[in-house]
Amino acid sequence: MLVSIIRTIDLTKRFENLVAVDRLNLSIEDGEIFGLLGPNGAGKTTAVLMLSTVIKPTNGTAIVGGYDIRKDPNDVRKLIGICFQEPKLLWVGTPWDVLNWHAKVCGLSTQERKRRVKQVLEDVNMWDYRRKKVHGLSGGMKKRVEVAKILIQRPKIAFIDEPTAQIDVVGKHKIWNMIRKLRDEGSTIILATNELFEADLLSDRVGIMHKGKMLVCDTPKTLKDSILGGDIVDVHLEKEVNGNAMKELKSFREVVDVVILKPNDLRIHLNKVEEVVPKIVNLFLKNGFPISSIRMSEPSLDDVFVHYTGLTIEEAEQEITSR
Amino acid sequence: MKETKKLLLVVERDLRMFLQYKFIIIMRAIWFAAQVAFFGLIASRMVVPELADIYFEFYVAGVVIMMLYSASVFIGYDIFEEAEHGVFEYLLSLPVSRKELVLGRSIGGGIRSFILVGPIIAIALFVIGLANPLNLLIAFSALFLFAFGVSGMSITIAVMLKSGDRFDIFMGVLNALIVRLSTTMYPQVFVQDASKVYAAFSEFNPLTFASDLFRWGTGIERYLTMDPMPLAAIIGIVIFFFTFTFVGVTIYEKRLEGGGWQ
Repeated sequence: MLVSIIRTIDLTKRFENLVAVDRLNLSIEDGEIFGLLGPNGAGKTTAVLMLSTVIKPTNGTAIVGGYDIRKDPNDVRKLIGICFQEPKLLWVGTPWDVLNWHAKVCGLSTQERKRRVKQVLEDVNMWDYRRKKVHGLSGGMKKRVEVAKILIQRPKIAFIDEPTAQIDVVGKHKIWNMIRKLRDEGSTIILATNELFEADLLSDRVGIMHKGKMLVCDTPKTLKDSILGGDIVDVHLEKEVNGNAMKELKSFREVVDVVILKPNDLRIHLNKVEEVVPKIVNLFLKNGFPISSIRMSEPSLDDVFVHYTGLTIEEAEQEITSR
Repeated sequence: MKETKKLLLVVERDLRMFLQYKFIIIMRAIWFAAQVAFFGLIASRMVVPELADIYFEFYVAGVVIMMLYSASVFIGYDIFEEAEHGVFEYLLSLPVSRKELVLGRSIGGGIRSFILVGPIIAIALFVIGLANPLNLLIAFSALFLFAFGVSGMSITIAVMLKSGDRFDIFMGVLNALIVRLSTTMYPQVFVQDASKVYAAFSEFNPLTFASDLFRWGTGIERYLTMDPMPLAAIIGIVIFFFTFTFVGVTIYEKRLEGGGWQ
């Protein structure tokens, strides 16, 4: 049976006239990576800050690890760790000082602390810079130190806000692997991001937020399948297709639309592409239309976002900025 | 982890940070030297010649307390530095209670000011001389509480104002009032002569409590009428410490958790 480790009940945060998070009702299961998606300003970070007891909700509450964030914030903080969107580092510290102190506060023993700090600094390629003052580090380096905090801490519940912002492609892959490893070691991960590809790659389930509201929440596959005709199959045939084959093709329940690009080039809009493609191949072969090439593409979470909001993530961000 | 250990870790963090501020430490030491070597020496020439040395000692003790006060206030500026870098939110997310955090920072701020003022106290004791070690020990214990209380007050004001500029101006005004309406630079009897209202403020001013205690501890008060044990000053400082620690925790929670720094 799946167990909820986080449950929000009408969680709301207002900043004067702005409703940053609007009656959020959400359940996150123990051991999953939950992607909280949305453009900047959607309310993701505010939700994370409330769940981690940094700020208090205006209305509603949440149960985190069995504790109410309003009534038992000290108990909640013992279970959680946050990797902030903007690295929270003072210019006077060094990566070693920052991480060593963080590990101490999180209760690691001296031996374990030294071992983990060294290991994680090496993993995020910051070992050589461990004694350098923070003000001398690049944005990407600071972000790696911020990510290192949570990797050292290994909290029961990890909130990770935009983990790969400002990080190069190689670094991104490393951090993604480390996030998966953190989950495999027993952490539940709440990944707040506006990188939809990142969320798709890592998340077991995702929730899409826009203007403080949760629009939809499910597995990435279910969300993508929920777009009618979202999957696309481009078929290039060796000869022109006839009416009977077309009629039979359109009779498939999953096929939403067939567009004839050229007499022997078809674009098929459908659902559940992986289940239907073998049937389409059989149909053309059975009717004597050999296939020269076939190309499949399924919708991305970007398409899902457009489907539910009517806006691309960039447009949504602009709309929020102009509010 | 035990609460005391967490509190000590908060203190450790503030001390480590403080040691990075070498420039400020050097500037403060120069400020003290200038106050003593210029203002103290010249101003003591303004009193009758037979009391010039006594006033000089009185003044040196007062400057030590002024410096202890201003060094303890410094933690408030750290709050703005942390707010600017978002470190505040990080601290609030740690497995440390708000009480441990504020108390740890008040104590850290107080110890920092003693580290800064320690060598200066040693110089001051060299100038003034040491009359009674037990009295000095009692006075020092109370001065620690005074420094923690001032740090707590500074944190409280910083999180209430939430603006570095406003904090700077406010602390400037507060400094002008709290130092001038105290016995750091002149004995209470002269404040009384000037105005009864001034005297009322001065009598219940934490800087007066601290200055009187330090002078009592160093034996300077032998020149002035003073109780054998300045109990009122000790009680005043204890109340000051507890008030600002309690107020600090409450305001810290309300002002920051209610909606972050902004």
